[in-house]
Amino acid sequence: MVINEAEESDLLLDILDIKKNILKMIYLAQSGHPGGSLSCATLIYLLYKKIMKFNPKNPKWDERDIFILSKGHAAPALYSVLSKIGLITKEELTTLRKVNSKLQGHPVKNDQLGIEITTGSLGMGLSIGVGCALSAKLDKKKDKLIYVLLGDGELNEGSIWEAAMAASHYNLDNLIAIVDRNGIQSDGFTEEIMGLEPLANKWDAFGWDVIEVDGSNIREIIGGFQKSKKTIRKPTVIISYLVKGSDISFMEHSSKYHGRAPNKEEYENAIKEIEEIEKKIGVS
Amino acid sequence: MFLKLEEINMRDAFGKYLHNIGDKYKDMVVLDCDLSTSTRTNLFAKKYPKRFFNMGIAEQNMLGTAMGFAISGKIPIVSGFSIFTSGRAWEFIRMACHDNLNVKIITTHGGIVGEDGSTHNALEDLSIMATLPNLNVLIPVDNLELVQMLDFALKNEGPFYIRIPRESSTNVHNKNYHFTMRKPDVVKKGKDICFIGTGYGTILSLKSALEIENELNCTVKVINLSTIKPIDEEKLINEVKNVKGVIIIEEHNIYCGVGSIVARIFSERYPIKMKIIGVDNSYCQSGTRNEVLKEYGLNIENIIEKAKNLLS
Repeated sequence: MVINEAEESDLLLDILDIKKNILKMIYLAQSGHPGGSLSCATLIYLLYKKIMKFNPKNPKWDERDIFILSKGHAAPALYSVLSKIGLITKEELTTLRKVNSKLQGHPVKNDQLGIEITTGSLGMGLSIGVGCALSAKLDKKKDKLIYVLLGDGELNEGSIWEAAMAASHYNLDNLIAIVDRNGIQSDGFTEEIMGLEPLANKWDAFGWDVIEVDGSNIREIIGGFQKSKKTIRKPTVIISYLVKGSDISFMEHSSKYHGRAPNKEEYENAIKEIEEIEKKIGVS
Repeated sequence: MFLKLEEINMRDAFGKYLHNIGDKYKDMVVLDCDLSTSTRTNLFAKKYPKRFFNMGIAEQNMLGTAMGFAISGKIPIVSGFSIFTSGRAWEFIRMACHDNLNVKIITTHGGIVGEDGSTHNALEDLSIMATLPNLNVLIPVDNLELVQMLDFALKNEGPFYIRIPRESSTNVHNKNYHFTMRKPDVVKKGKDICFIGTGYGTILSLKSALEIENELNCTVKVINLSTIKPIDEEKLINEVKNVKGVIIIEEHNIYCGVGSIVARIFSERYPIKMKIIGVDNSYCQSGTRNEVLKEYGLNIENIIEKAKNLLS
């Protein structure tokens, strides 16, 4: 799958729009996790738009690929992407974190929205992915792929490495983990809180095929996903390096916005910054 | 019935059940964490190697994998020792129950295990399981009930926790017994005092009841409370309406155990004299099972004494 420049511009603009909605949702809710939502918005959108077998008109389609947002605190990114593909209305986005809203603070299983399972307690998604991948193997559904998006801070959880062992033990080449390597967790930089490096070597030692991509480069991400489909008898991890809070200058490299909503001034400045980028790409 | 139930212990009955039912439930998969020889899921593993998954000594991942199987339309049976499975993987179980997933957690070594000692005893599992919304919590008293519970759990969607002891169990029911979810199972009629037992607690109740009746001029009703959750409160209250008091006997810590659950129901809706007999705030220690049971008050003599106090 090669994308041309026009298509790349369209995707970039869509992603910027998704990021604006993430900020708006969190600003209106006055709570949520902007940093980790912004850093994985591109990955989630590309998965739904370009990579996964998924039909928004029939989210329970039997042949669909499976997506598990293990880093459930990035719920606004997922909701914003689901809105972009037509499963959530713009009005619904404003109900984030409100009583009786479909859009709970962390994603709750919802067949209509194609949310496969509730996530938010970190360290569970990869094990769930192992179960889905084993099940697909058992059913001989060779084309069914399982994607699990992990946060880098989430890799502190021991259960992730239990799942990593199992995926490799059972040769789950239909399982693709993506690590949102934004370098920051709740209390600060990952390497200061609980060092992860050499991260690629760790996955490699656990028997995984490791692909490293620049998480701001659409072509590279798509290339990484395509490469992952060629892996045989091993699970794949795509480590996506990206600055946390990317595209918003004052949020970049900061743990301050991991779990804090922007105030009015910050929100307006953030939107302005995104609109500047939009202008550069071609929106007048 | 395909099992000679009276001849084997409950772990074997569980293993044989899975082995025999595999063809009927093609979507059933079995997961164990390096304990399949002890839990007897190895019988299923041998017959259906493709549908058996040894997950190694990693309970959290075993539960997470089961959740993945469940959302893929499979019926995962998860096995292991009661305390390790319920305890180590508790938060995974919590989320499986949160989503009402079709995960069947069937563990062995419930209660006091004997020689292996405190680390392996499951005396807190019912507290942490019964607090989870959507989860059905069942304890069979004998093989006949176990097999019917397993049938019930497989036929009905949703999460189940079924706790099996390490040891064998005396048959309490005759072959006409029919397990009914939620319903208090009266295994002995009586008018003066009511014993409510769970698992081995029911057997102790029955044995103690017969001795008390010989000794004192009274009759003892015995209820086998095999559904810990959800309990039919109305029916349970009706069963104790004419007795002078209730004694609950459980192989579990009395803090937040079955007694606590029943005490909430009675204290809110039908206050009655009660005594809860179980392990009193301890992890217990090694010894033969009977020695340990006696050491911590789960013996006939202690039950009789408590019953006398309640009746006096």
